Amino acid sequence: MKKDKDFNFKINGGKSLGFTINTKIYSLASIYQAAYLFLDRAYVYLDGDPEKEIKVVMKLKGPSFAKATEGRGQELERIAGEFYNELLNQLLREKVSETNAKIREYIVAQALYNAVPNEVDELLKEVEEEDWQEDPLGIAKTWEETQSKKDKKQKTKNK
Amino acid sequence: MEVIQFNKKIYNLEAVKKAIGEFKNLANFTVKDFNGNIEVKIDKIDQDFKDVLKDEFSNYVLGLMS
Repeated sequence: MKKDKDFNFKINGGKSLGFTINTKIYSLASIYQAAYLFLDRAYVYLDGDPEKEIKVVMKLKGPSFAKATEGRGQELERIAGEFYNELLNQLLREKVSETNAKIREYIVAQALYNAVPNEVDELLKEVEEEDWQEDPLGIAKTWEETQSKKDKKQKTKNK
Repeated sequence: MEVIQFNKKIYNLEAVKKAIGEFKNLANFTVKDFNGNIEVKIDKIDQDFKDVLKDEFSNYVLGLMS
């Protein structure tokens, strides 16, 4: 079993890699995200208590030939380093996402608002497009004009 | 027969069941609650996948958790 004092991981006979992650520093969500990115290269197993620490075991995919043990050991070491880097990356993404949540919601709301036709604007546009000089209901006429027309009609009727 | 124990604090039953749905053509799966874990027993594994099925299944469940 090879142990690295700097990164706190163990390589077991060149076959698997084991390490722990402090969940006070890295959230479970960031661990899931980081692990997801390694699923094409390794088999990843998680265990432990999300409130204290998560234990990770990784096994490389591919045939396990005896000759390749040393090479696989080096590959596992490399993966350990990459995994820690990816954890930092995911943690940063999480923090940035939290910080920008309100701005993001505002931008999306604005985009949706602009995409939907505004009924008030459309009504105003219709009114503006109408020719104000047309008076189909005769509203613009004065009372005297309307009344004199009625009187004339009455007079012709009486005749 | 293969047995996998998924820690319930880390993996959820929904993800395990969904994964079983995807892998059901390759083996027989049984699920039960065991000692705070989700225990999955896999048997009658398709011969072509017997070396990798357990690991691939576990990876698939983890992928669903992300």
